[in-house]
Parts: sequence; structure tokens; C-alpha cells
Amino acid sequence: MKDQQSYFEKADFQSNLPKQFLVMFVAVLLVLLEVGLAQWPFFYGASPLLSLIFMYFIMIYHDELMPIMTVFIMGLIADFLMSDILGGRATALMLLSYAMRVGVLRLQQSDFMDLWVGFAVSCTAVMLFQLIVFTVVHFAVPSLSPLLFQLGFTLILFPIGFVMMFSIQRLLQTLQVMR
Amino acid sequence: MRPSDKAKVRHRRLVHVVLIALSFSLMFIGKADLVAMRDLRMSSNDFLAPVIDFVSAPIRGVETMAEGIRTVASLRAENVRLQAENDLLQRWRRRAEILESENQQLRSVTGTVSDEIRSLITARAVTAPGGSFAHTILIAIGNESGIAAGDPVITSNGLVGIVYEVGRAYARVLMISDINARIPVMLASSSWPGLTIGRNDEYLELAFLPAEARPEVGELVLTSGHGGILPAGLAVGRVDRVDGDDIRVLPAVEFRNLGYVSVLIGGTEGVDRSDLSQGSFFTPLPIDDDKRLLEGLNASGTRQ
Repeated sequence: MKDQQSYFEKADFQSNLPKQFLVMFVAVLLVLLEVGLAQWPFFYGASPLLSLIFMYFIMIYHDELMPIMTVFIMGLIADFLMSDILGGRATALMLLSYAMRVGVLRLQQSDFMDLWVGFAVSCTAVMLFQLIVFTVVHFAVPSLSPLLFQLGFTLILFPIGFVMMFSIQRLLQTLQVMR
Repeated sequence: MRPSDKAKVRHRRLVHVVLIALSFSLMFIGKADLVAMRDLRMSSNDFLAPVIDFVSAPIRGVETMAEGIRTVASLRAENVRLQAENDLLQRWRRRAEILESENQQLRSVTGTVSDEIRSLITARAVTAPGGSFAHTILIAIGNESGIAAGDPVITSNGLVGIVYEVGRAYARVLMISDINARIPVMLASSSWPGLTIGRNDEYLELAFLPAEARPEVGELVLTSGHGGILPAGLAVGRVDRVDGDDIRVLPAVEFRNLGYVSVLIGGTEGVDRSDLSQGSFFTPLPIDDDKRLLEGLNASGTRQ
């Protein structure tokens, strides 16, 4: 009887797996773009955290599409490619994703300014975590100016990224209604 | 909440905890510098580097276009500057040829053994440092071409870094600006030895100079060749600022515009390069503030 019930419960919902895979693909692509952007002399040593903007948006409005595994893979690829401490960014992003899941309802009801402030806090927390791990592991503090530049530029890019993703979301919803 | 939903939430929490624990432990396993982890890193680099290359092609295209526009705007001035520079270089070339000939004659008289000749392989830089925590680059050349960990990487302007991980088709270079990079150097005009230390920044720190050394702003800093990994005489940078013990060096190579680099192969026979992991490097620490560990010869050949 129990098996039958769970069978029907599963049948009620459409699988999110293809969408989750698509979100993972875009997230990984953004990580690669981050690494690629560093070749631009302007972003040398401090490319903006585009993947974090994407993760923040998805976690607020479509958290079911970004399972923890996606966050883990995203962080791990960034760690591999940027030759950072393996697992450093992955852990920071996963802790952030956990914290966001706890407060997601409040974030969903917030206006844009609150979201921006929330993102600033999240971005700072991720960088601070990586900085602390780096300092503990290497017994040395890296130069802070590129770190601040990276943080500042990511915060400047947040509204642009947010508007772009919001527009894409609207477009997809319209297409879904039309179909 | 239905029982199946509760199970889902429990399952999700468990996965969360397991992945965070795994990721956290990876930080320590990665630092332990196991051979398996190094292989994993290089395999992932070999796999992901072509993808990055593809993704960053438009970025390189835009950069090339912007550079083209800048160049066209200053074409005439650039032409005049290059002609003047060419005249100067011609004069320097003649001077270098005379000095080389004189050098060879003196070597033959004194019986000095000349350095081993290293061969050059040029490779494209696939990535640039994207974060503040590591200054490394991937280059499109691997052990298929015969390069090995420890090979110096240079441009026409000077030293970029050393190869520290080699994959099949790609290798990772530790740049001299990385916080883990310690390069044995000497001041070109006074021959005082020291170490440059990266700061994950655009400048290097010059440390462990003898107390008698008086570095001057603009003085050239060259590799000393101590340790045998790097050949002597490669340009590392120029002294940019001297503020007491705080001596800052501006690298000779403009890292922001690194397109192609050359790897120096060979010439390190007899040097143990089996373990060039970051963990095996050490930094000599001064015992007291007024004592220095490094000793050397000054320009007149006197031991200090």
C-alpha cells in the first residue's frame, strides 16, 4: 500500500532533472567565462564572480533547480581552474546555499535594494571564507586590493546580471504560457 | 507534510552535510599534495582547458579588436617611436657582439665552463590568473613536448615563472607573482643576492638582502642561478620602491598581456627535480633582525 502511494505521489510531479541539468550547464559555463575573463587585462587577477550572481538568483526564485550537487561541482571546477585551495570555494558556496535555503522566504519577499545588500553580504562572506582558509593554510595574507576590486566589480555587475536573468525568466514564462 | 516529503527533506539534508564534509576534507587532502590529487588536477586541466579556450575565444577577439583600434589611433607616433628604438637596438646589438666576442676570448683564457645550452619551446597561455588566491597560468604544452616540472618559463622581457604541474597537453605555471614563489635573485649592478617573494599582486617583494646592500630605485634584478633550477641572468624586474627593509620590485614581464611564453628545456642535469611540490619549498627565516642568512660576493669579488 505504501509503495503504491509513493508511486502515485511521484507521478503527480514532472521531473526537474532536465531543468536542473540545464542550470548546472549554465553555471559551469559561467565559471569558465569567469576564468576566460581574466585574460582581459582589466580583470587580471580579479575577474568578477558571475557564477555567484547566477547562483544567488536561482537560489531565490528557483531553488529546486539548483541542488547542492550543482553548487559543489561549480565550486570544485572553479577551484581546479583557478588553482585555488581545492574545496575552498566549493565549501563556501555550499555553506552559502545552505544559509540561503533557510532564509529563502524572506529573500523572496524582499525588494531589490534588500536583495542587493543581501548579495553584498553573501559575496563578502564567500570571499572572507576563502581568505581565512588561504591565510590558515599558507600562513600568509595575499594582497587585498585585487580582492576588493573583485568584490566591488561583482557588486556593480549584480543589478545588470539580475535584470538580465529576470528578463530571461519572463521570456521563458511567456513562451511556456503560449505553448 | 507527507511522509515522502519528509524523507526527501531528510535525504537532502544528509546530502548537504556529506558534500560539505567532503568539500571541507578536500581542502586538507589537496594541501597534503598527494600524487593522486596532482594527477587529478592535471587530468581536469587537460579536460577543461580546451573548453576554456573555446569559451574565451570571443573575449580574446574583443580584446584584439580593442587593441587594434588603439594601435590604429597611435600608428604614426608608434612608427616614430619604433624607428628610434630600432636605431638604439642596432647600436646595442653591435655592442653586444663585441662584448660576446670579448667574453668568449676571456672564457677561453680563464678556462671557465660555460652554462649548458637550453632549448626553447613556445606555447600559448590559455588562462590568466582569475582570482586573488593563486597566480598561475595554464599553457598549451605538455609532457608530449618534453617539458617537465621545474622548467623556467620566460618571455623576451624576462622570467614569468616555473612549470609546476605537467599534463599530457597542458601544463600549469607558477608565476613569480604568486605568494608561493621564491626566486633567488641578485641585484644587477652590485651583485648582492636576495629572494623575490610574490604577493599575489602586481609587485614582488625583495627580501633577505644582506644588510650592506643598498638597492636603488630602477636597479635591475636578475636570477642568480642559485639552486640550479633557474639559469642565472634572467630579468626578474626592476626595483620600484625602497622604503627601509620594504623593497618592492616591478616584474620585467607585463603579466596582464601575456599571450605567448617560452619554456626553457634542459640544462638542469644533475639537479633533483623529482619533487617540486609547493610543500617541499622552504623559505629561509632570519634568526634575528640584525642578522642575515644569505651570503654572497659583491661586484669586486669580496665575500660578504
